[in-house]
Amino acid sequence: MKLIIQRLARVSYAFVVMNAAAVSGLFAFGLGRRVWR
Amino acid sequence: MNRVLLLEALFWSAVVVTVYVYLGYPTLLAAWAAVAPKPIRRSPVTPAVSIVIAARNEARTIRDRVDNLLQSDYPRGQMQIIVVSDGSTDGTADLLKAYRGMVDVVVLPPSGKASAINAGVAAARHDVVVFADARQTFAPDALRALVEPFADPAVGGVSGELLLDCESGSGTSTIGDGVGAYWRYEKWLRRHESLIGSTLGSTGAIHAMRRELWRPLPTETILDDVLAPMQVVLAGARVVFVDDAKAYDRAAPVAAAEFKRKTRTLAGNYQLMTLQPRLLIPFLNPVWVQFVSHKLGRLVVPYALFVMLVTSAALATERAIYTAALGAQVAFYGLAAYGAVLDKRGDRRKRVRRSDARRTRSVTCVNELANGRRAKDEVSLEV
Repeated sequence: MKLIIQRLARVSYAFVVMNAAAVSGLFAFGLGRRVWR
Repeated sequence: MNRVLLLEALFWSAVVVTVYVYLGYPTLLAAWAAVAPKPIRRSPVTPAVSIVIAARNEARTIRDRVDNLLQSDYPRGQMQIIVVSDGSTDGTADLLKAYRGMVDVVVLPPSGKASAINAGVAAARHDVVVFADARQTFAPDALRALVEPFADPAVGGVSGELLLDCESGSGTSTIGDGVGAYWRYEKWLRRHESLIGSTLGSTGAIHAMRRELWRPLPTETILDDVLAPMQVVLAGARVVFVDDAKAYDRAAPVAAAEFKRKTRTLAGNYQLMTLQPRLLIPFLNPVWVQFVSHKLGRLVVPYALFVMLVTSAALATERAIYTAALGAQVAFYGLAAYGAVLDKRGDRRKRVRRSDARRTRSVTCVNELANGRRAKDEVSLEV
């Protein structure tokens, strides 16, 4: 049970991180930051 | 309109957007693929291919990368390997002197990845161009699988599959579970988009296209692996996804690195619409429904989530359903906060393991020094 909750917690956290990155991406694009991959 | 009605309208609009993007669209895709699939003709062709690798300061990985390509089961005489060193200062290009005759090296001043790729394609001699990154590796049969769909004249581009270590549970990423789940979901979408027409972008680590369909990328391009395939789609050809052309990579080690990676990707999605506004026009973009649902949807969802949280909080005292909705969201964000704690804890453990490993090496070095097996300057580098 604990493992399932931990897994769900990690997936939820990844979902939140990705959505926060979408907002951050808008600012990054707006500010014209360039990133070399 | 009274205040409660307005809040309710906002709440339900946000719910509809979020549910459509993450559940409705995949359901639509599954139904579409079941009712009207567009199969592609694959055959075991081995056309001559030019493989372009854009690299900046990849001295640590570039030899392994080239060796990996040379060890592929693709006929050696049918491969041109081009490495574009974009402003490298770590000797990336020098390391490739050992591969003279096997690798074409293009050296550029720092110009950005898009310019490096443009230069690589300009140096390509063959009709099919394969794109790869310096860090990842290909499965031995990946190139064969990647070019098979080009037997179908309707296919202009092909994306392979990138497997992250966290998908198999073998990685050490602290955010691996979440990223692995997300990436499996993303690949499911791509596979089904490909089944009904075209996928909306390729995997930068492993994709290919017909050179005649290549259009040079604007130098500021962030997502070369989305813009280039979308130009193929806008030209009327298909870009398909083949999951037996495999490349391997590691997931970002911690959430902060993944956040940075995703910020870049999503900034690239915003940029895509300015570089190629035709994507937003239904009758000019053959995959408009998919583009709006998949790419634009991802950009809109964070704001929809915010609206959902605020409006349900404002309506919580009005009706039980909003109280429940608020409770569910609080529980979800609480769970995510616990995930953040687990991520931090995992990161700290990894740091401790690394520092233990360093200490072990230091002790070994001191012992070796005492035994005269190691020069003094070597030890100073280790400790």
